[in-house]
Formats: sequence, C-alpha cells, structure tokens
Amino acid sequence: MKNSRNRAAEAGRQSRRQVLTSSVALALAASMMSTAVHAQSVDISKWSPEYVRSIAGTEEVNTAAECSKVVPLDYKGRLTYWYTGPSDAEPEITKQMDKEFWVAWKATYPNIQTDAQNINYNDLLDKFRTALLGNAGPMVVRLQILGGVEFAAKGYLQELKPEDVGYKTADFWPGALKSVTYDGKTYGIPTNNETMAFIWNAKIFKDAGLDGDKPPATWDEVVKDSKQIHDKLGIAGYGLVAKQNAGNTPFRFMPQLWAYGGAALDEADPAPTYKNIGLNSPGAKAALQAAYDMYVRDKSVPVSALTNTQNENQGPFIAGQLAMMIAHPAEYAKMVDLASKATGADKKVADAVVANMRYGLIPEGPARRAVVFGGSNIHVLKPEYVDGGTDEMAVKALICMWTSPEWSTRLNWVGSNPGNLRGFKTKWMKERLEQIKFLDVTTSMLPNGIPFPVVPEAPEIMNIIVPDMLQNALTGKMTVDAAADDAAAKVKALLGGL
Amino acid sequence: MSIATELAPAPGRRVGLMQRVVNHRADYLYVLPALAVMMIVIAYPVYYTLELSLFKTPANLQMKDKVYVGLDNYVTILTSQSFRDVTVNTLIWTISSTLISFLLGLCAALALHREFAGRGVLRAVLLVPYVVSAVAASYVWKWLYHSDFGVIGALSVQFGFTDRPINFLDNLYTVLPSLIVVNIWREFSFAMIMLMAGLQTVPDQLLRAAQVDGANTWQRFWHVTFPHLKGVSMVTLLLLMVANFNSFIIPWVMTGGGPAGASDIWITQIYQLAFGRQRWGLASAYAVILFVVLMTLGYFYVKALTRGDEARA
Repeated sequence: MKNSRNRAAEAGRQSRRQVLTSSVALALAASMMSTAVHAQSVDISKWSPEYVRSIAGTEEVNTAAECSKVVPLDYKGRLTYWYTGPSDAEPEITKQMDKEFWVAWKATYPNIQTDAQNINYNDLLDKFRTALLGNAGPMVVRLQILGGVEFAAKGYLQELKPEDVGYKTADFWPGALKSVTYDGKTYGIPTNNETMAFIWNAKIFKDAGLDGDKPPATWDEVVKDSKQIHDKLGIAGYGLVAKQNAGNTPFRFMPQLWAYGGAALDEADPAPTYKNIGLNSPGAKAALQAAYDMYVRDKSVPVSALTNTQNENQGPFIAGQLAMMIAHPAEYAKMVDLASKATGADKKVADAVVANMRYGLIPEGPARRAVVFGGSNIHVLKPEYVDGGTDEMAVKALICMWTSPEWSTRLNWVGSNPGNLRGFKTKWMKERLEQIKFLDVTTSMLPNGIPFPVVPEAPEIMNIIVPDMLQNALTGKMTVDAAADDAAAKVKALLGGL
Repeated sequence: MSIATELAPAPGRRVGLMQRVVNHRADYLYVLPALAVMMIVIAYPVYYTLELSLFKTPANLQMKDKVYVGLDNYVTILTSQSFRDVTVNTLIWTISSTLISFLLGLCAALALHREFAGRGVLRAVLLVPYVVSAVAASYVWKWLYHSDFGVIGALSVQFGFTDRPINFLDNLYTVLPSLIVVNIWREFSFAMIMLMAGLQTVPDQLLRAAQVDGANTWQRFWHVTFPHLKGVSMVTLLLLMVANFNSFIIPWVMTGGGPAGASDIWITQIYQLAFGRQRWGLASAYAVILFVVLMTLGYFYVKALTRGDEARA
C-alpha cells in the first residue's frame, strides 16, 4: 500500500519521465532534421529511456567469432597501444572491466605481443604529441573525442572506418562519426559516447525550501536555486568548475553557453562551417554573465571553482556541502563507493546523500537544451610515426575487440555508453541498466549532444581559451563583455594561423 | 715529467691554438667522452631551441612543415602585455623567494651553529621540507590553502581572525604571495645547509679575539662572521635565484598559473605555450629569453666560485 507521499513521489517520477521522454523526442527530432540518418543498427528515431530498456538484452554476440573474420585468432604479431584507462579515483568495476578485457584479449589473441600503456587523461595528449615529434608513437591510440582531429589534420593518422574492422558505419552514432571525420575522410572509430546529466541532492533542495524532486528546468533557475540554497543553508549551490587548462571546464560550461544560444565557433548549428566565431555572441555573454552572477554576485558556488575540476566537487557533494553538479552516470557509483568507505558520522551523512542523489536532464536555456557529445575514439598511426613500424593485423584485431558490441559496452560500464550501437542490444547493457541507477537519464541526453568543433585548433579553444574567458570574468580581471570579446579575438587569431 | 712540460715551447715564443691542442691532446682525449655527452644532451637541444624560435608551428602542420618567421616570435613576446605581466610575476616570485629563503636560512644556520640540546633533531626537522617531493608538498599545501575547506581557512574562522575562509588560491592578489610562502618553506633549508657549511669556516680564534676586544654579538657577526660567509652567500643566492627562475612544480601543480594568469611565471608560460597550445616556436623564443637570463646569472655564479682561485693565481 502506498501512502500519499509515495504516491506524490510516484506521480512526480511519472511526470518527470514524461517530460524526459518528450524532451528527448523533441531534441531528437531537431537533430534528425540536420543529420543524415542511415539505417542504424538501432532505431535512434525512437530514442528514449523506454526504448533503450526495450532493446537491451535482445542480441547475442560472440566477439571472438566476429573478430576472427577480420584477423585469425592464431595471428602472431606485435602491438603497442596508448589509452586512458581507469585511474585510482574511478569505481572498482571500471578497473575490473579493464583487467577483464586484457585477460580476454590475451585469451583471444594469445600470439600478439602487446604493450598497452594506461596514461592519465591530462597527460596523454602531451605525451602523444611529444612522441610523434620523434616518430615514436604507438600503433594505436585512443583519444578523447576532441583529440583526434589535430593529428588527422597533421597527417599522422591512417584512414580508419568501421568496415576496416568488420563493423558497419551504421553501427555508430552519426554525431560520433562526425568527430572522426576531417576533410571528408574518416580517421577513427568511436569507442564510447557519453553525455552527462544534471545531479542534485533532493534533501538539500527541500531544506532550502525548493522542490526536492524537481531539478531546475532552465539555467536561469540554476542561478536562482543556487543562490537560495547558499543563502538559506550557507553551502554551495551549484558545483561550478573553471580551472585553467582542464577539459573538465568546457564539458560543464559549454552546455550552459550553447543553451543560451552561444557557441565557440558555430558548432551548435545544424550544418556548422567552423568559420564563424560565437564566443562574443549575445548568447555566450549571457551564459558568462550567469556564471559571473553565481560566482561573484551571489557567491553561491565554491570559491575554489577557479582551481577545481569535477574531482574536487565529489568531496563536498558526498559531505552534503554541495547541492548540484554536472557529471557522468559514473558519479553515482563513485558516491556509493565514497559512502562505503566513510566511517562514523561521515558515513551517516554520506549514506543520506546517496539516498537523496537525483539525476535529471541538463537544464535548457533560451535557445536549446544541450550537452557535450563526449567520448573517445580509437585511431591508427601511419607506420612512419610508430616506433618499430605498424603491425596492421594486430592493430585490426585490437580495434575489432575494443569497439565490439561486447567490449564497447563493458569497458564503459559506469562512465559512458557503447560506441558500437549494437552494444545497446547486449545482455551487458541490460545488466548495466539494472545495476546503474540513472543510466537511462544520462543515456537519454545523447540526442542533445553537440560535438566540439572538428578543427585542429579545438583543444586550445576548449581547454585554454574558454577557461581563460571564464577566469578573466570571474576574477574581475575583465568585465563579462571584455572577457568574451577577448576570447573571441584569441580564437580569431588562432584560426588565422596564430 | 709530464707530456705538456716535455712539449712546452721555448720561452717568448707564441703558440697557435692548434699547436696547443696538439700539445694537450691527451688532456682533450680524457675530456672527450664528457664533451660528447654534453654536445648531445645540452648543445643540440640549445641549438634546436634557437632554431625553432625562428619558426611558427600552426596546429594543422607537422613540425617538419613549420613556417620560418625570422624574429617575429621574439617581437610577439616582447611586445605583448602578457609577457609584461608574466615577467612582473616572475621577478616578484624569484626575488621574494630568493631573499626571504636566504634570510630565513641564515637565521636558522646561525641558530643551529650553537650547541644546545636537541640541535640534531631540530636540524633534521628543518631539513624535511627540502627532502619532501615537491609534487607531494604542492598537493598538501593546495589542500591546506583550499578556499572552501582548507585547514588554514578553517582555523582562521575558528579562532575568529576572519569570518569566512581566506581565499588564498582563487584570488588575483593573494595567489602569488601564497605560492611564494610554499616555495620559501621548501627551499629555506637549502640555504640553511649551505650557510651552516660556511659557518664552519669562520675561525674561532678570530671570534674570540673580537670578543676579547669588546665586540658585541652584532659586531662579531657583521665584522667577523659575515665577511667569511660572503662567498658561500653569493653562491647560495645565485643558486636559489636560478632555481626560482626555473621553478615549475609548485605553481603548476597548485594553480596551473591561474587564476587568470595571476600566478603565471616564465617557466609555466613556456610549458603552457609548448604543451598546452603547441606553439613550439613561440615557446622556444620564450625559452631562449629565459636561457639568456640564466646564462647571465650563471656567469656571475662561476665568477663567484672562481674568485678565490683568481686571487690565489
């Protein structure tokens, strides 16, 4: 028997679900108009939390059998591979899946001698660039979605498309394939695609006089709610991050900037040309103003936002000192993990936070609801840039396994979604949906995803110029207008050849 | 009799360079391996940095396709506002860190030069900051300084010094002094060790004679001890200055040069230009400027080291 409170909560959940579904449908309809939709392995026109659940567990896969058609299982060779694997901060399951992959790889291709290096997210690009200067790169590299285009433009990468490793182009999100396409050619295969979601602590909302089951629907509401939480409870409302030279910053600020109608270039347009600069557009300035209002005017976000990445938000959130943040589905597992390690009074607080943790769609703005279409892609280097040359067959074997429906699902257990759309049909996806709370919410943000500009200058624009713009405005070094104009001028100079 | 003596020319006869090399061929052979290593690990990188500083490296071109721009990179750097800002930061960072570390090191050395119970323990404790990994120390200090949950901020609120945690690292005006404190904490013990060694060379009999002549403590320090420390002080100051010009770990780990460039110094700027923005040419030009400054300091360092030799010669 349900009491009235439960019924109200149930009704709230249902209405949230309806909103979620209709939002996803609307966003998808918009994206459909601009994207040439091939006969995908899944029907992305029906994409919704319900659809994702309905297809999970409907396809049996045999990875070794599929890859044996590309590279015989007794192939003898050598492979070097760099990627960003699990770090200490990540949940145990992520580390376990990584270990299981390498065990399975060894069992499937026992004669391929493999040197795989797990390199920290913030170090991989630097190390890779430096290695390339000495023609000492690995055969295969997996880079964040933003990373590959620079190397494709410089001519380091081989053309690589899904068909080369036994899959179909239709097995991957069109938006993800856009991120590996430069100058009309495909230089990689998406390994995982992710969109983040909005996380809030329902208890803090209630304590601050807000509706605990209703997240802010718009970015303006985020500003308002953050202030209310800070004013009433004396804790930080929204977990703003604005660290310099950190990928974390654009992943959390660009959704806000796009929502207000801004852009770095014109990446939010249905057919971007990457020729127009949008950082000083009225939309971009409105987003920057909203961040300024939270940090400077209302002081409702962490003071340490200028040196924080999302990692630094985790502690305050689990301690009940932070109400809202943008993060991956893995954040829930991380919080459960942190709560399990807490002791005494901390444990009580942490358990309460986990129980009150909620996921919702990222708020929308006057222009749209948006999220960064993130993830990673796998690339193959041209032999002349590889230390010791390239073993093409070994390379194909690894990529076939890594991007298979099975492993593109399992290797991204809590943090992401399978790059190979067939992964959504596997039993592992079903298992994930059962195990990982809120996975359907983050997955349903995928149609709202906007990839970063596919230009070689994108890392500098996103990781340096955008955070600098935020810091210039938030520290008062420049006015909001001046900071946006300064950033736009820097992008213009950059695109003009430095 | 040595080979050099055997082959020595008759007095009054000028010897050419080649002849001198031939005369000292055995000596040159002995230093050849060291010279070869230095050519590979020092001379070539210096040459390559100089060469690279004359090129632009756009994001869509490989290094081999770099574009020759002559001295444009130097002009860009020297005329930019950011260079002026970073230079001011670098000078504040280097001079403050060097002088305060030296003075604290001197005080600690003088205190520890006297016999007292627990001197050994105290000496070991004061050495700890110097032997702790700079990266680990930076992370610890980052958390001590944390603007929301830092220990220092919490204590200042608890004891009523401030009504909210002090914003050390997220403020344009407090970030650099905060980093300088960490740097001084880490390197004053280096100055202490150097000066303690220097104090061993001060003759006791001179100090006793001054005491007999009625000199007070300050006079004994100023007229006897300090003159004996001049050489080691010069070397210590120069080494600290070079280390501080090159200091990267503390500002990079703690703030990455932020917020809004307020703790950016030359070396973090060079790293950012090279590895963050892939502007290898511009970064190389910056590095050449830093190289010239450090070589100038190096010249004075060598002069300070060899001053005694020249006097003896």
